[in-house]
Amino acid sequence: MSAFLDMGGYAAYVWPAYAVTLTVVVLNIVWAQRLLKRSRKEALHRLAIGGTQK
Amino acid sequence: MAWTWFHRLASPPHVYRLAGRLTPWLAWPAAVLIVAGLIGGLVLAPPDYQQGDGYRILYVHAPSAWMSLMVYTTMAVAAAIGLIWRMKVAHAVAASCAPIGASFTFAALVTGSLWGAPMWGTYWQWDPRLTSELILLFLYLGYMGLRSAFDDVQRADRVSAVLAIVGVVNVPIIHYSVIWWNSLHQAPSVMRLGKPTMPLPMLVPLLMMLLGFTLFFGALLLVRLRGEVLSRERAASWISEAVRP
Repeated sequence: MSAFLDMGGYAAYVWPAYAVTLTVVVLNIVWAQRLLKRSRKEALHRLAIGGTQK
Repeated sequence: MAWTWFHRLASPPHVYRLAGRLTPWLAWPAAVLIVAGLIGGLVLAPPDYQQGDGYRILYVHAPSAWMSLMVYTTMAVAAAIGLIWRMKVAHAVAASCAPIGASFTFAALVTGSLWGAPMWGTYWQWDPRLTSELILLFLYLGYMGLRSAFDDVQRADRVSAVLAIVGVVNVPIIHYSVIWWNSLHQAPSVMRLGKPTMPLPMLVPLLMMLLGFTLFFGALLLVRLRGEVLSRERAASWISEAVRP
């Protein structure tokens, strides 16, 4: 296990690279869901104030 | 008859519903492929004969770099379709691409830098491949900045589309930079004419990661697209149907 974590001496480069990519992947999921949620809320708001057309 | 699918794709309520239904069909295969690719790349693939275990950065660097180019190309094509056929949904696709592409371009630059440090002895060089990839990040950021400068979504769509289309010249420059110029960066070993120059146990996890990231992009795009389509919509009839909890 410690040999795996050591990555043949390249641990200081390999793991940060994986951490950055994982962070970008997770952030993209959060951002996309947040955008959809916000758009839904705003659309409901437009409906409520009558800012839409039939 | 042949054009009905095109018209359906231009219809916001149809796109909103279709995107919602398709998302899990892309997201779950993406998750499975990425997890399998990680196990293959980090555990099962043998170390490289020159770079030892350091080469394993490949399994996150290459998919990120692939995303940076593929997402930009998608964005430029969608922007062109939006501009030519005045198709709102196509503009919504282009707008959805930018933050995804920008973030993976950032990941490609950082992981490349972390790979370059032990192998080339430097985190950064003003090398053709690295410089053109950095320009790609600025193109994405410029596109997003330009969009946010307009209050009117439709003007933002049209103006930013021009930038997206002009910027696409950078895509082949990035891809061929390692062939046209003398670069520190290695030449392609998968995206090339002829056979990949990699043994199968190394290649298979890489292909899984590339496909997994591509499907992940598809899923992200669909979720964002629903939001973008909804924010462009003023017709009460289907909004109430779409957003009702």
